Amino acid sequence: MKISTIIRYVLLGIFNALMFYIVPLAISYESWFLLLIVGIITFLINITYLTNRLKPLKWITPGFIFLLAFVVFPAGFNFYVSFTNWQTGHILTKTQVIERLEDLTFSTEEQRGVEFDLYVMQDSDLDYYFLADLDENNLLFGKAITSDEFNTINYANHEPSFKDSNNNIVIPESLYLLSGKEQIANSSQLQELSLLVDKNTRINLYNISVFGASSGRIFSSQQKYSYDSDTDILYDNTQNVACTLGDRGNFICGGESVDPGWRITVGSENYQRIIDDERFRGPLSTVATWTFQFAFFSVLLAFFVGLFLAVTLNNEKVRFQKVYRSIYIIPYAIPGFISILVFRGLLNPDFGLINDWLDPIYQLLNIEPIRWFRTEASSKAAVLLVNTWLGFPYMFLIVTGALQSIPTELIEASKVDGATPRQSFWRITFPLLLVSISPLLIGAFAYNFNNFTLIFLLTGGGPPLVGADVSVGYTDILISFTYNLAVSGGRGVQFGLAAAVTTIIFFLVLIISAISFRYSKRLERIYGNI
Amino acid sequence: MNNSRLRFGAILLILSMVLVACGGSSEDTVEEPAVEEAPSETLAAPATTSPPPEKLVVWAEEKVAVALDPLVGAYEQAAGVDVEVVIYDFGSIKDDVLTAGPAGEGPDLFISPHDIVGEVATNGVVAPIDLGSIQSDIFDVGIAGFSYGGEVYGFPYATEAIAMYYNSDLVDGVPSTWEEVKAACDAAGTELCVGAPGGGGGGDAYHNMPFIQSDGGYIFKFDGGFDPSDIGLDNSAALSSAEYLDTLVKNGTIAATDYGASMTAFQEGRSLFWMTGPWARGDASAVNYGVGLIPSFDGSAATPFVGVRGMFISAFSEKKVLAQSFILDFFATVDVQAAMYAQDPRLPATKSLFAIVETEDPIAAQFAASAANGIPMPNIPEMGSVWGPVGDALLIIRDQNYGTNEDTGVTVDSASDAMKLAAQQVRDAIAGG
Repeated sequence: MKISTIIRYVLLGIFNALMFYIVPLAISYESWFLLLIVGIITFLINITYLTNRLKPLKWITPGFIFLLAFVVFPAGFNFYVSFTNWQTGHILTKTQVIERLEDLTFSTEEQRGVEFDLYVMQDSDLDYYFLADLDENNLLFGKAITSDEFNTINYANHEPSFKDSNNNIVIPESLYLLSGKEQIANSSQLQELSLLVDKNTRINLYNISVFGASSGRIFSSQQKYSYDSDTDILYDNTQNVACTLGDRGNFICGGESVDPGWRITVGSENYQRIIDDERFRGPLSTVATWTFQFAFFSVLLAFFVGLFLAVTLNNEKVRFQKVYRSIYIIPYAIPGFISILVFRGLLNPDFGLINDWLDPIYQLLNIEPIRWFRTEASSKAAVLLVNTWLGFPYMFLIVTGALQSIPTELIEASKVDGATPRQSFWRITFPLLLVSISPLLIGAFAYNFNNFTLIFLLTGGGPPLVGADVSVGYTDILISFTYNLAVSGGRGVQFGLAAAVTTIIFFLVLIISAISFRYSKRLERIYGNI
Repeated sequence: MNNSRLRFGAILLILSMVLVACGGSSEDTVEEPAVEEAPSETLAAPATTSPPPEKLVVWAEEKVAVALDPLVGAYEQAAGVDVEVVIYDFGSIKDDVLTAGPAGEGPDLFISPHDIVGEVATNGVVAPIDLGSIQSDIFDVGIAGFSYGGEVYGFPYATEAIAMYYNSDLVDGVPSTWEEVKAACDAAGTELCVGAPGGGGGGDAYHNMPFIQSDGGYIFKFDGGFDPSDIGLDNSAALSSAEYLDTLVKNGTIAATDYGASMTAFQEGRSLFWMTGPWARGDASAVNYGVGLIPSFDGSAATPFVGVRGMFISAFSEKKVLAQSFILDFFATVDVQAAMYAQDPRLPATKSLFAIVETEDPIAAQFAASAANGIPMPNIPEMGSVWGPVGDALLIIRDQNYGTNEDTGVTVDSASDAMKLAAQQVRDAIAGG
């Protein structure tokens, strides 16, 4: 057997073992979707690598799986969320909500805030007993039972015999008193147990103390809510009412909707809101226009700066080519968010270095210093300036690469034919560059269209567009505008609405990209044959 | 722009997956016998069963986690539990509690400021706690901050409020009125007078709230709880307060600074005062400084927003009693709070710790006095729709960006106009859901 085959089977074995490991986990968490995905992926991987018949798939399958996992799934999920009411108060599933509600205890006014020492004991059968030292007349002792056993009427009794004449607790021989540490070791069990005082009252262990005496609290023997899965009705035991199902994914008890609610699908409601809501529609055209301008000029400026530097440094007569090239890569190597924050400081109109440097010019021309970030024009200029700085090294890199691939004979031939250097650049080099680079330019456009980090960190969308119905700024692009709407909505975070907007942005970018690719294909047809 | 990065990321991911796969399987084989042995140590009692040691996971932001981590050793020893303190990015604690909790991966306990109480409680991801006898030891502002819908959702252990730093080489203290502040600055001749965040292009409602709510203005009416239907950003008191802020900006008392600029100005001795909170004491120590109360407004004491920090219990924790015990029996005790304070000094929310701090740290006492005048930041989810509009309005005043907007045709000629606009935006946002 070849060594490569052995490696292949070993790796496949490890992979399968891992996948099998996930199966019981997925079942225990009732995560059927994950189970389905795991099944499909395992099947795909095994069928590709176990047989030799599907050789080409060997190269495609991993990529395909990653495409599914990191592109198709998030996009699909986002699309799904845009049809739900996923927002503050509705982030759980119905099952989770019922679990949460059934988990809630309640105490009546007089039961509240009563705190007393609680002793935990065990007999030889490992059954637990609680002794609650409420007051002189209530030294309650009894078996600690789970809520399922409440109907067995194991009520607690007043047992003065547990105290000696000095008011110290005395434990009979037959019982073992658990220390705080032992109570903690068994706390998972103990937290399910109660000492039933009467039909309506129980005592629970509330605070296990390892430094002093543990204490208990008094609760109603009923949970705050109980749920009947057959009739789908929730009972509010504090008011003794049955709660109805609201149409927004809430239980409604006595006219008030109960938090938390769960998420439901609401059809096209989120999209409808984008169209109908004046708060959204008002600033939309301003924001959309700037988004296009921002993405377009960002790419254009970065591209021409990169192109200029690449073409200049491509000349063989330039000495220290490599040094220059390394220097121009630096902005690309520094994490973007750091440079953005640095620029924010540099551009500060009062104390920033940039205005300090420009000061002689301001003096010379006798003009007011630029109030960076405070006026519409200066903020937009700052955004473009910083984005050009961040973007040109990438353009510089790809243009440098593309330039090397253009045959020098073409340029020489044009020289022979009498073309000036300028003519041969614009007529030959540049179109050929565009053929290989235009897909990347389209990519850069799409990236900048959603360049949330830059806007968020540099201007925060400001300066504010005064008078709009909603808090929005002049440099807000669609994605940052959406973010603001989604997180600072009327009542918390609105994922459904945000997902609807991102879906729309996705289709916008899709359409722009499709048109651009069409155009670049035409370029290819014209110049590709050269 | 990131094709290459994506590809690199993908390769990294594959590699890490392979590593995880290898690492995971080898770890399993090592761990198994250990799990079986461990319980025998806890078998002190003849009758107890032998479950594996319980484990509590606590999320906290870096400074807090670093302070807490060395302290939990004592509890681990005494209680025989494993307490894992996880350093968590401050900005993502709320978001991740909301998502990780329901997915079964959240913490048992987490520490956060109180402004998230409404949102996490509405979403059902935190459990209420009955603080019992220790509740009376906590300042009212702390309990108010952690109350929502009649329940208390955590143990408030620290408060935070802004006050006024002064450069003690240049001035003796903070005067009690703004007129005197102006006079002190003129006398000292510094480039800037008061550096306060919330100008210079960086909107910041939090730092500017004393200017609005000290003399009768408010965001949401507080009456046991915050009422999102009663907004007082444009009542007559708020409007006259805003106009007064405008005057202070115009006469140069308040400089147009964002947070960073106000900090560097103070550090470099270019400003006489700096309005911010106790977290900045390290930054302020670049000069000799003191701290005083924010000057009063028309005779009324300045009321800053008070942030309350506390420990929450996740509703998804499977060890609620243990989590409650960790708070009530350990974290809330004076000794632990004092040790926390020594590592990560924050204004105490408990009276017993305050009594200790007061004598030891007069500067903290000044901040505490400022907090005592303040009101808790509204903890209802509707607060999310306030920061943007109010920050914008105050930014207009702070940066004097008045005028008619060409795009919307709306004219904002005065501080009052700006506040009216903000109030309207907040009302619209809340009405729009």
